[in-house]
Amino acid sequence: MKEIDARGLACPAPVLQAKSAIEAEQLNAVSVVVDNEAAQQNVGRFLESRGFEIALEKDNRGYHVIGKCDAAAQSKGETAPAADANITKIMVMIATDRIGYGDDELGLKLMVNFIRTLSEMGPELWRLVFVNNGVKLAVRDSEVIADLKELEDNGLQILVCGTCLNHFDLLEHKQVGETTNMLDIVTAMQLCDKVINV
Amino acid sequence: MCGLEIPADDRVIVGMGSLDDAGVYQISDELAIIQSVDFFTPIVDDPYWFGQIAAANALSDIYAMGGIPKTAMNLVGFPLKLMDISILRQIIQGGLDKMKEADVVLIGGHSVEDSELKYGLSVTGFVHPDRILTKRNLSAGNYLVLTKPLGTGVINTAIKGGVASREVIEKVTQLMAALNRDAAELMVRYQVNACTDITGFGLLGHLAEMVVDSGLGISLNAESIPILPEAADYAAMGMLPGGANKNKTFRESMVEFSSSVNPLIQDLLFDPQTSGGLLICIDREDTNKLVDELHQKGIDGSAVIGEVISAPPGKILVN
Repeated sequence: MKEIDARGLACPAPVLQAKSAIEAEQLNAVSVVVDNEAAQQNVGRFLESRGFEIALEKDNRGYHVIGKCDAAAQSKGETAPAADANITKIMVMIATDRIGYGDDELGLKLMVNFIRTLSEMGPELWRLVFVNNGVKLAVRDSEVIADLKELEDNGLQILVCGTCLNHFDLLEHKQVGETTNMLDIVTAMQLCDKVINV
Repeated sequence: MCGLEIPADDRVIVGMGSLDDAGVYQISDELAIIQSVDFFTPIVDDPYWFGQIAAANALSDIYAMGGIPKTAMNLVGFPLKLMDISILRQIIQGGLDKMKEADVVLIGGHSVEDSELKYGLSVTGFVHPDRILTKRNLSAGNYLVLTKPLGTGVINTAIKGGVASREVIEKVTQLMAALNRDAAELMVRYQVNACTDITGFGLLGHLAEMVVDSGLGISLNAESIPILPEAADYAAMGMLPGGANKNKTFRESMVEFSSSVNPLIQDLLFDPQTSGGLLICIDREDTNKLVDELHQKGIDGSAVIGEVISAPPGKILVN
């Protein structure tokens, strides 16, 4: 089981460490050690909110939270409440940070414009998924962070590929969306009515 | 301050010996001055709004004592080598705008170079010596009115952790920057016995200061206490600040929760607030009128949250 040592860190840092670890590595079991009871409770609550069963322990190293979850329970917990069944569900999968080939500068401009115009799809836009170079649109210094946050605040689920963030060493810099894995992406493809690849 | 000798003066009406929000010094039969100082490190990223919040927070102590703030001085710690001076300008502009809104004049200030940014005010206000409101003077049967919802501590932690949505940040920023002026102006028209503002010790911490050694207790109705819904969400995600736990450890022996009160809500009642609302202890008969007027003034979060009881003394019961 992966152990996260979050001793010496003030809240909310232990929770954030646990969060990035379970999101990036899709952990089903994790042990977090902290140095005070308040942090232990916070980490416990966080793991419970993500569908983990937790056990709290204390020894001479510190306060431990041991979290375990079976994958079925986790994905059940994550399923969004069913939207209106009559609305077409469109998933947009973006695997690049610019549109088309030829001129990169133009391609980037087009991508920015594309993201800004996406909301025109209205409630049919169901998931926005970033993979490969596309994840760079969801990290620090991206021109479209504010636009993506607005989409997210309006209820759009944005998924960002954890393996890809990790590959580019950008895990820490993600500014928007949920870090996701291939299983979630494949499941989303299966559930939606239409996939648009960019 | 334990063990330090504080010189006495007959004109000090409220001084170091009390747990109150500000000091009060009598000038004449008609006039006393209230003095308070408060400053802190940034809680929101936007410097202009940080300035507003810090100023609203510092002014609040004067309102909580039943007074009217009149003059203020800036207190600034600024990391000149790390930050552009224009940031400081925006902070001070935010503070200044808040002071203007409160009809308070800025008459000076002092700044030092500091490794961490800090801003706040020293504030002086006026009050009639007979109309000072402290945390004392409760009587059994009085009602308690709170004028802002709780939860800013949790949300500030969520902001620090980068998990708060933009909408929530905006909402909580507005809430923290809102002056307690209107609430204070309305409250002084009624039979109010005691008042404080909710800040770092959280609702239960400040209530504990009101009942400790008073011979009286307090009964709260947990369901009627206004709490920001987003705060409950973030608390369930583990975003409770360390201060909430410190407050709880410090005062939990005075608090008795009924088993029906959700543990998360129990913790939120200890959540440290930034620029929180006034907690007004008011004559039972005047309560509805005050709350109606608060709502009419747009202070929507106001609610009656409990009452002062004669027994058990020194205890806060939360049902």
